[in-house]
Amino acid sequence: MTSVRSALQQRLAGHLSDPIEGAPEDAVFVAPATLEGAAEVLATASRYALPVLVWGGGTHQGIGGRVDPVLVLSTARLNAIVDWQPDDLTVVVEAGVGVADLEARLGERRQTAVLPETSGDATVGGVVAAGVSGFRRLRYGPTRDRMLEVDLITGDGRVVRGGGRVVKNVTGYDLPRLAAGSFGSLGLIGRVCLKLWPLPEARRTVTLTERRPEYGYRPLAVVEEREQVQVYLAGTLAEVEARTAELGGTYQEGWQWPDPPSGSITLSLRVAPRLLRDALDELPKSWTYQALPGVGEARVGLDKFELRTVSEIRHRVEKQGGALVLTSAPAAVYATFDPWGTPPPGMDLQRRVVARFDPDRIVNPGRLPGGL
Amino acid sequence: MTLVRELQNVLGAGRVLADPLRTHVYGKDAGIRRGEVVAVALPATAGEVVEVVKIAARHSIPIVPRGAGTGLAGGTVPVSPSLIVSTTRMTGIEADVASRTAWVGAGVFNLDLSHHTSPYGLHFAPDPSSQAACTIGGNVANNSGGPHCLAEGTTVNHVLAVELVTAAGEILVLGGDAPDPIGLDLRGIVVGSEGTLGIVTRALVKLTPNPPAVRTLLAAYDSVEDAAATVSGIIGAGVVPAALEMMDQMMTTAVERFVGAGFPTDAAAVLLAEVTGHPAAVDAEAELVRQVAESNRATHVRVAVDEAERALLWKGRKAAFGAVAQTAPDYYLHDTVVPRTKLVEVMAKVYEIAARYDLVMMNVFHAGDGNLHPLMAFDASQEGVLERVQAAADELVTVCVEAGGSLSGEHGIGLEKRDLMPLVFTEVDLDAQARLAEAFDPDRLFNPDKVLPAGSRCFDIGRPVPEGTWI
Repeated sequence: MTSVRSALQQRLAGHLSDPIEGAPEDAVFVAPATLEGAAEVLATASRYALPVLVWGGGTHQGIGGRVDPVLVLSTARLNAIVDWQPDDLTVVVEAGVGVADLEARLGERRQTAVLPETSGDATVGGVVAAGVSGFRRLRYGPTRDRMLEVDLITGDGRVVRGGGRVVKNVTGYDLPRLAAGSFGSLGLIGRVCLKLWPLPEARRTVTLTERRPEYGYRPLAVVEEREQVQVYLAGTLAEVEARTAELGGTYQEGWQWPDPPSGSITLSLRVAPRLLRDALDELPKSWTYQALPGVGEARVGLDKFELRTVSEIRHRVEKQGGALVLTSAPAAVYATFDPWGTPPPGMDLQRRVVARFDPDRIVNPGRLPGGL
Repeated sequence: MTLVRELQNVLGAGRVLADPLRTHVYGKDAGIRRGEVVAVALPATAGEVVEVVKIAARHSIPIVPRGAGTGLAGGTVPVSPSLIVSTTRMTGIEADVASRTAWVGAGVFNLDLSHHTSPYGLHFAPDPSSQAACTIGGNVANNSGGPHCLAEGTTVNHVLAVELVTAAGEILVLGGDAPDPIGLDLRGIVVGSEGTLGIVTRALVKLTPNPPAVRTLLAAYDSVEDAAATVSGIIGAGVVPAALEMMDQMMTTAVERFVGAGFPTDAAAVLLAEVTGHPAAVDAEAELVRQVAESNRATHVRVAVDEAERALLWKGRKAAFGAVAQTAPDYYLHDTVVPRTKLVEVMAKVYEIAARYDLVMMNVFHAGDGNLHPLMAFDASQEGVLERVQAAADELVTVCVEAGGSLSGEHGIGLEKRDLMPLVFTEVDLDAQARLAEAFDPDRLFNPDKVLPAGSRCFDIGRPVPEGTWI
């Protein structure tokens, strides 16, 4: 390993970076500053079949199969907001731009990319690769609906662009959308163009003490927890006031997004929206959750991992067409519990698609379901 | 056994068309191209589609999937003699009202789906102007849009899963009704793939609640530029209306003669804007639209007073292409997209091109999306006119691409724009798209020679070939 390390360090001398806290320590760390630099790194890794772990902010590294990398490719130097066209509601950013930084910047002109609201150090590239969405997906759809254009650096070092910088486009196959949730299996997501939305004039959070069958016509977001329900409103002042009165309960100005569920282990429970409440009622009482009615997702937190209990719940959820996905846990849990569960139908097709982008399967190998 | 006999064994004689008089109509879409049809199969289930696919593969005959044939880009026009697989017999709808989804057969008409779900206060948001005649399968194939896609997004934002019959004769369900299905999002690639990756037999679609309140405004202008500036102004002011449509004077004049929708024919351009939502929201948003319109020199702004007037305005908008027949016997409808801030500049060039080629150019389009639909009306019997139309069309595309736009906003690439793809993509990009298609359909059984120009697959598997290498 030592000789491989020094040979690699020599070969990739222009791209080396300091180790990253939380990443596998014995890997070689690189942080290319351009898409072409990233292509050079991946072409080299591909030539010698060396596994690469892509690292953004590290916030979603708990999702998916474990990767044992020789190289860790950080997107820290791919951090430019390349082109923001406020009147077109589009922004082009490199993968390493922080979600919170981007949203703060867009907020200056009252715009948003509707990316996850409580994403900590997450980067745009990480959020796209992990396919995670914010609470506002209820009204604006998931992160994949933001994707207009992508520059992928394929596993074998090609720079491939798909989509375009316009809000409506059917020119060629929809690579931008395929990149969302691809976990690096197509290569590195180097740069993306995202569709933006205006931030509304008035924003309010209404707290209710009980669940309801409905929370009015298309609210921005709804989060149900064990003890309370938060309804997030947006729009003109007149609209927000009218909706607050209709809902009752107490309210605060602004959006008070909940912190991620507490617990050393977190899971994402996904079912058809109509099945969500029943699925929640069957969770052990000690588990905490934030459920998104109308979406069908619940973010679940627990402290003690009981394989039998979690497996039984997964079995029930999968039988209904859903999934129970591990999103963070101590390393030992991954050894006994498949982070994804039963792979989806069409895994052969998925394998063939991945092979077209990453023929030597070097970028985040094994991260996707079924060990892909 | 012959192809037709084998197909008849599976589908019965009534659902296999081989008589040239019956198949002739299937050789064409709503555009101007025609191709050769060997036979037409009309399967009613995914299982039957599998059998049809296996038979075609055995006979090495290409399959062209087809919905209602309302496309304009040649997506359903065979390039070589082909078997047409019509999906119009797959017409089931199973709505899940509590989850706001429905499994819909590929052959269901777009508008019929919304009629079916209207008792539950739900609708299917994509609303192409052809929605009374086009099918969900066709919408999925083309990632269809429509006026109300400005706020709601196009078909791909409303498809949660597809049932796909693959080249290997497998029935695959990609996606599902739970959010964020695990693994690669192949459903997103199938949507908009123009029938080149397999045959979609059913789709699980998202249903959208009908808005409790709607305001529809009509603004008139003395110049197209002022109307276009209003579009940018509205979006820039932080309002994304449900729809924002523009028509120029040639078009409103034709529409008025055709349906009498109440458009002012003395205006150089009109904007049709619709805001929807909570009753407390729509009046304030409508007022904002009015203010932006007036500050951009609108000569007249009116709000539809009732549902009847609103329906009439929309009828005028959606009947626009029908109205053109009153102006000339033939038309060529274009579909390109530009960043919406470039609308003013691009529109000026559109008129300049029309004048230079001495063509009647009418415009009705999704201004809010920057999605242009310049329409050239002509009489094909006049000598040399087709050449001028084609030359003008190519220039239009170039102008849009130079403005940072793309080849197609909602009609697709098909045959029409296949050979223009290198205007927006490099050969490395096109090669990657060809490889992706190959992963689904290695022998190019489905709709071959569409979307990607010949020679797209120009690299060996593995690494790019160095520049200058001849293959």
